Amino acid sequence: MHHSKAHIWFVWPAIILMIVILILPIFLAGGISFTNYNLGNSSFEWVGTENYEKMFSRKTYIKMIISTATYVLIVVPVSVVLGLVAAIMLNSLRFGADIYKTIFFLPVMATLLAMAIAWEFTLHPTLGIINSFLANGCGGIREFILGFHWLPWVSSEDSWYSVACANNMDFPYWLKDKKTAIWTICFIGVWQAFGFNMVLYLAGLTSIPRELYHAAEMDGAQSTWEQFKLVTWPMLGPTTLFVVTITTIRSFQVFDTIEILTKGGPAKTTYVMMYAIFEKAIQQNITSIGAAITVVFIIFIILLTFFQRYVIEKRVHY
Amino acid sequence: MGTISLKNINKSFGSTEVLKQLSLDIQDGEFLTLVGPSGCGKSTLLKIIAGLEQQNSGDVIIDDKNVNSTRASKRDLAMVFQSYALYPHLTVRKNLETPLKLRDYSFVERLPLVGNFVPSRKEKKKSIDDLVFKTSETLKITELLDRKPGQLSGGQRQRAALGRAMVREPVAFLMDEPLSNLDAALRVHMRSELSELHNSLKTTFIYVTHDQAEALTMSTRMAVMIDGELLQLDTPSEVYNNPSSLRVAEFVGSPKINTFAAQISSDGSVEFMGIKLERKFNTNSQKALVAVRPEHLEITKDSNKPAFEATVSYRENLGSDIFYHVQVDQSESKIIVRGSPQAGLISNGETVRISLSHAEAMLFETSGERIR
Repeated sequence: MHHSKAHIWFVWPAIILMIVILILPIFLAGGISFTNYNLGNSSFEWVGTENYEKMFSRKTYIKMIISTATYVLIVVPVSVVLGLVAAIMLNSLRFGADIYKTIFFLPVMATLLAMAIAWEFTLHPTLGIINSFLANGCGGIREFILGFHWLPWVSSEDSWYSVACANNMDFPYWLKDKKTAIWTICFIGVWQAFGFNMVLYLAGLTSIPRELYHAAEMDGAQSTWEQFKLVTWPMLGPTTLFVVTITTIRSFQVFDTIEILTKGGPAKTTYVMMYAIFEKAIQQNITSIGAAITVVFIIFIILLTFFQRYVIEKRVHY
Repeated sequence: MGTISLKNINKSFGSTEVLKQLSLDIQDGEFLTLVGPSGCGKSTLLKIIAGLEQQNSGDVIIDDKNVNSTRASKRDLAMVFQSYALYPHLTVRKNLETPLKLRDYSFVERLPLVGNFVPSRKEKKKSIDDLVFKTSETLKITELLDRKPGQLSGGQRQRAALGRAMVREPVAFLMDEPLSNLDAALRVHMRSELSELHNSLKTTFIYVTHDQAEALTMSTRMAVMIDGELLQLDTPSEVYNNPSSLRVAEFVGSPKINTFAAQISSDGSVEFMGIKLERKFNTNSQKALVAVRPEHLEITKDSNKPAFEATVSYRENLGSDIFYHVQVDQSESKIIVRGSPQAGLISNGETVRISLSHAEAMLFETSGERIR
């Protein structure tokens, strides 16, 4: 065979571009994270691991890790499961599936920025539609359902709903309360993410051959659950892997809802990584700390990718 | 036991009628082939027997029990699918175990982890292992048990699919064109294997195919279905030699049977293309169709024999036989004649004389019914 060098000429533009806009900035960020450099400074000093020590000792950064972890650990499983359930239900619908698909997919298509503003109004403690809906329901069926009075162990006097009604309509402040803020942000995250997962799962479901369900039926898989376990879930393996990976990465990157709704507060309970990078490096111009957070962020993403690539992929591809 | 009978089955998808008043009795231990052109409803019929499809009216009776409202998994039938439908994420061993586990294990025993602590499971697992091993021995797939379907060749997948059906000794096997995805040589080989398997299992086989060669070689009886109707149910040789209608005669047999317009005189003697049939037929019609299989026509050099002239337009050499497609002046359709290679090749464009090799031919009304 004739050995030509042509392939190098085809590859180098891509390689150079990748190095310049991807690899180099990462190493640059890695380098800056060991200095006290701020944007605009003419000189810097090496400070060793000081930035990282700050990150793992100061309360702010501990809170950052906790809120990011909370967000990822809630949004990923809930939106994946909800997406799967919605996809399976829509797949069995004969009519109206398109309408539901549009409704559930709308949050994905819409700008999260605009949606966040809508949520801000909805969740406003005194003017918001949610709290006025709750306030109007005191003593009625809404109190019964949302106060969980239908559960045998919840007494109708001290459910959260009744207590709020009794204390002059003291309903949650949602985004303004440090107890509820992160959960509300998670809820919006799920609302926004699950439509996308649903669409991916719908695509996965249509690619399962019908004959496999017939085979399962002939083999004696009678309940829907047995058929789900034997056919649907394993056949959706590659889709699930993709959905989980993409949702995790997107959850790590959550920024716009935080920026619009809470700015990391109250009491830094919603101070997620992406927002911390933005706040430190862009707003406060402390580039070195921003770089250190970025490096930790990249390490998380790389670990995740490796886990997906070498551990799970072996199990879901056949 | 494995008798299955169908009574007046009707099935339509929307306004398209797929099966029309179809009745069929299948005896225990029989190898019955449902054969017909694509879209004749044979696969739908098989799915109705299996319970995967619900008929619009009519009864399915398995072992003297009406199973109209019994779901597929309770009918105790096994099915081999055209695409094999093996579970791609499970090894061949797990694929074979699945039907046994789903039927023999209780709900608790099937649970992951917890199931391991149920004492009865161990015994059942042992018997399942034995059955899987026995089946894999029969099908010669023991060394493939730990592979996944994706790592198998077409023929091996086919065996695995058969194994999954065989492993639990069902009332009957339903096969939906199981050989159509194999290459020609393997298909011929599998035909004989399936026949042997049927002989050793002695279970009822219901086999759907569009390939009449499979139907003719394997089945004890074949049911010819065209356009949702059962036209003839008989042994392969009877269907071939004595078709009940022109549609059956035209579908069964390759190459296709030749038809000629014929005149019937008042005394019942039949004449076509200048050839007079020896037998006289009892019919009132004056016009009819004579059907002659390619192997019952011959190219003759004997000028005394009654014959007609035709021009060879195309030659199909199969080695053991040569089929000549010939054109007769008056008719636009071509006629196919079998010639033997020993007689020497006849080149395209030559004019030949064609006669009946033995003076038997089938006679049909112009509407297609057989005149006997």
